[in-house]
Amino acid sequence: MTRDDILSGDVLDEITLSLDELARACAIEPQWIVERIEAGVLCGSLEGEPSCWTFVSADLARVRQLVAIERDFDANPELAALVVDLIDEVRALRAQLKAAGLQA
Amino acid sequence: MEFRDYYQTLGVEKTATADEIKKAYRKLARKYHPDVSKEPDAEGRMKDLNEANAVLSDVEKRAAYDQLGKRYRAGQEFQPPPDWDAGFEFSGGGFSGADMGDSSDFFASLFGRAGRAGKAGGFRMQGEDHHAKVLIDLADTYRGAAREISLRAPWVDEQGHVAMREHTLKVQIPAGVKEGQHIRLAGQGGPGVGGAAAGDLYLEIHFRPDPRYRVDGRNVYETVPVTPWEAALGAAIETPTPSGAVTVQVPAGSQTGRKLRLKGRGIPGTPPGDLYLVLEVVLPPADTDAARQVYETMARELAFDPRRKMGA
Repeated sequence: MTRDDILSGDVLDEITLSLDELARACAIEPQWIVERIEAGVLCGSLEGEPSCWTFVSADLARVRQLVAIERDFDANPELAALVVDLIDEVRALRAQLKAAGLQA
Repeated sequence: MEFRDYYQTLGVEKTATADEIKKAYRKLARKYHPDVSKEPDAEGRMKDLNEANAVLSDVEKRAAYDQLGKRYRAGQEFQPPPDWDAGFEFSGGGFSGADMGDSSDFFASLFGRAGRAGKAGGFRMQGEDHHAKVLIDLADTYRGAAREISLRAPWVDEQGHVAMREHTLKVQIPAGVKEGQHIRLAGQGGPGVGGAAAGDLYLEIHFRPDPRYRVDGRNVYETVPVTPWEAALGAAIETPTPSGAVTVQVPAGSQTGRKLRLKGRGIPGTPPGDLYLVLEVVLPPADTDAARQVYETMARELAFDPRRKMGA
């Protein structure tokens, strides 16, 4: 295939990621994700065995954020999750400010 | 390529202890974290910090870098001497492969994992997955669009040297993609080692800011200015939308803030989002005699007090 070809990809949410795919995308071990799920700081569609779990686009974004916060600040998983939750909250509030005509 | 002084990046002495390096990194990481920082180019600074920390927080990498650094100053033209790293073994920790696409030529040439692993014989490893953010126009998700994106990625030459190389991909952006959603391009990530498959490339989609539109999931909000007489009397007006111009009926008696919902004209999907036209009544300026007369006539003829309910 040449670089001039137009590439078509898969849109996440139309397809889902397996545990191994999510781990590879975030350059971490699958066990890292399993531990965060057990700690309650991450959730996907978690029925049955870990090999059956599926993850969506928002999970990929969240795991990458958690990995970065834990790595950059040596944060424990709960603290990293709290930071990511607060960042999400700030984004949502900024969007509301914008919607109200008050630029954040 | 220029020599990078990682000690300067972190603002520490060359004699800094591991603890001092960690402290300096965390302090700066907090300051420049792109999610919260108000500093200009926070994202770029954060990448530099991550890179400096990846080298200086790793004992082997730091030792090899220090030996090399004796002969160079920041900004000096630099080519890695052959076998500069002889006698050192890197554990590969501290800098995740997924972030390699963000690293400098300097870092890639010294610590690019693909080149290092490539020297080993009989070893197979799937390429790393890479990530990139892509800005598209809102209209692109309405119709779908082919977009060219430029990416920097580590590249291994025939001699096994690693350098950052810019390459361009033409990508089909499918209709209906949402803000923050990912597109996975199979096999477009880092090259595999020993004949193993290449990694994947994940594109994170973001909409280019457009003052005309606000996006909430699949719903799109567009502020539409109308004249006082269009709002008061009702009118069919034409307005541009992300999917092309439409003619809509402004109901009589409309005020600023009234939302007209155009069902299914938001971002495509199953079900598609809606487009909300948010009316904004704009007064013509009273800058001519004729305009002033019209306002004076209204003031005289209309018994209108918008502050009546305020008890004034």
